[in-house]
Amino acid sequence: MTKIISLFILEAVFCFTFFTVSYSDINLIQTTCKKTPFYDLCVLTLKSDPRSSTADVSGLARIVADSVNAKAIATLNQISALLKGVKDPTLEKALEGCIVSYNTIIQADIPVAIDAIEKNNPKFAVQSATDAGNEAQACENSFAEKPSNSPIFSGNKAVHDLSVVLQSIASLLL
Amino acid sequence: MAADQWYDKNGVWTGSATILHDGKIVMLYTGSTTEGVQVQNLAYPADHYDPLLVHWVKYPRNPVLVPPPGIGPNDFRDPTTAWLTSEGKWRITIGSKINKTGIALVYDTKDFINYEMLDGLLHAVPGTGMWECVDFFPVSETENNGLETSINGPRVKHVVKASLDDDRHDYYAIGTYNDRNGTWIPDRPNIDVGIGLRYDYGVYYAAKTFYDQNKKRRVLWGWIGESDSEAADVKKGWASVQSIPRTILFDKKTGTHLLQWPVEEIDSLRLKGKEFNQVRIQAGSVVPLDIDSATQLDIIAEFKIDSDALEKATGSSDASFDCATSGGAAERGALGPFGLLVLADERLSEQTPVYFYMTKGSDGNLKTFFCNDQSRSSKASDVDRHIYGSLVPVLRGENLSIRILVDHSIIESFGQGGRAVITSRVYPTKAIYGAAKVFLFNNATELNVTASLKIWQMNSAFIQPYPNL
Repeated sequence: MTKIISLFILEAVFCFTFFTVSYSDINLIQTTCKKTPFYDLCVLTLKSDPRSSTADVSGLARIVADSVNAKAIATLNQISALLKGVKDPTLEKALEGCIVSYNTIIQADIPVAIDAIEKNNPKFAVQSATDAGNEAQACENSFAEKPSNSPIFSGNKAVHDLSVVLQSIASLLL
Repeated sequence: MAADQWYDKNGVWTGSATILHDGKIVMLYTGSTTEGVQVQNLAYPADHYDPLLVHWVKYPRNPVLVPPPGIGPNDFRDPTTAWLTSEGKWRITIGSKINKTGIALVYDTKDFINYEMLDGLLHAVPGTGMWECVDFFPVSETENNGLETSINGPRVKHVVKASLDDDRHDYYAIGTYNDRNGTWIPDRPNIDVGIGLRYDYGVYYAAKTFYDQNKKRRVLWGWIGESDSEAADVKKGWASVQSIPRTILFDKKTGTHLLQWPVEEIDSLRLKGKEFNQVRIQAGSVVPLDIDSATQLDIIAEFKIDSDALEKATGSSDASFDCATSGGAAERGALGPFGLLVLADERLSEQTPVYFYMTKGSDGNLKTFFCNDQSRSSKASDVDRHIYGSLVPVLRGENLSIRILVDHSIIESFGQGGRAVITSRVYPTKAIYGAAKVFLFNNATELNVTASLKIWQMNSAFIQPYPNL
């Protein structure tokens, strides 16, 4: 009987502990994302990564950095595919410029940001995140067709907005 | 110095040199350890007679300072040049923060190896965040020369400067230093460190001064970063420059500002100059200036305005003009904008205005703003388009004056003799080399302006290898 009771109490304690961990990590995600200009995007990105349940602000920054990287790689692939069949020289020039921008994001900005977050030098993460957002914006701006969007608009927007989120979260670590 | 010891493996960062009594130099610098902790290390020149001080020897028992209790391992960096206390000890300050309050810690030492931390702080300002690259130096209230770092006395004020990590700008404040307890208080707490005046309202960071004992001047050297994308920087193969060094003097006329001015050595790069006298610029006009090449220039300009027009202008209770939030040089006001267009092409498809904008309050008081507008500086898609600037004090009887150093993608502008300075980076695609031009402009609606200026072509500096390297 006592065994069952102790098990029951143990289970109750465990559930209670589990409940408070869940509540506080959602709370951290919410309070952190409120300090970024893209709340919904921030919350969605963090919640869909299991690491967020035990992450501190630094950990949340890392998750967003990884997400920028993933989106950038996907967009780079899109650009490469478009380049294969391109005929229009203006479009080709813009796409080639975007290749350079996205290579910079993937090879320079994100690695520096991640290293900075790990080594607790947030200002380098803020700087790199700012540049990543600027690269995506510059890529979008380089397409001649205004006011309509470029063929890779959604990729550029995702990378840009997530970079801004990363910049905001990294700024909290300054 | 290479990052080759455990105490600087993750970075040999900012340091400051101190010249000792015997003329020898010691260097205190921040190292980021293998664990990423910020510590202060000591190093000596390997050869005190090497004019370039190329090789250094690190003190074998580094670090000499580690973060004290209550200070975070990543909030302890950039030690200053030391100055002598009245007790004959050397004193340094190191920037840090406690929560969001920026602070400067103080240490005394006799040998740069053993230190005593003072109980109090040199100064602290809430809400300013981490203070990087703190600088602390005296200025004379009366003399037109710089002061050696240890000078103190009745007609001497002290400047505290901090680079704010949170907004990447360099701020300074003028105040009074108390040698006894190692504290400093600002003359005007409402423009305290981090919440008041900046060295430069453009792209300018991590600046430090040093005392030139030969010419008795305090010289300032700052870092000008890039305003284009990193992708462009990687393509061109370089990024960032140091500004033309500037002398610093206390502004006797206002008593609240410092004056910065390019060092006199820059004058030796002047080639031919051309004068333009009393050029009248009607409201709403642009006047081309006929000089040859316009990519490397030294411009000194003075603007006279009709005092009648100033009297007549109606004051407005809209006292909220700010260069950064304005519409730039295209936004017409009664009393501004007017000034120069540099790195502009003939059709003005690209242009960088450097200008004054005056406003009149409902109380009749005039305010003058000094701005630099990047919004139309380039057709490129990856460049910064912000408008920089600030309020600049103009005293009764003063004409408005601007000095501009133009160097392809770098513009350093000095308003009112250096009372307000703006550095910007622009990357024109058309207004380059032979196609770059300079114009005077007046986009005000109720003001005619007369300008007198001299423009010199600037030679490129001769950077030669030092003999016997």
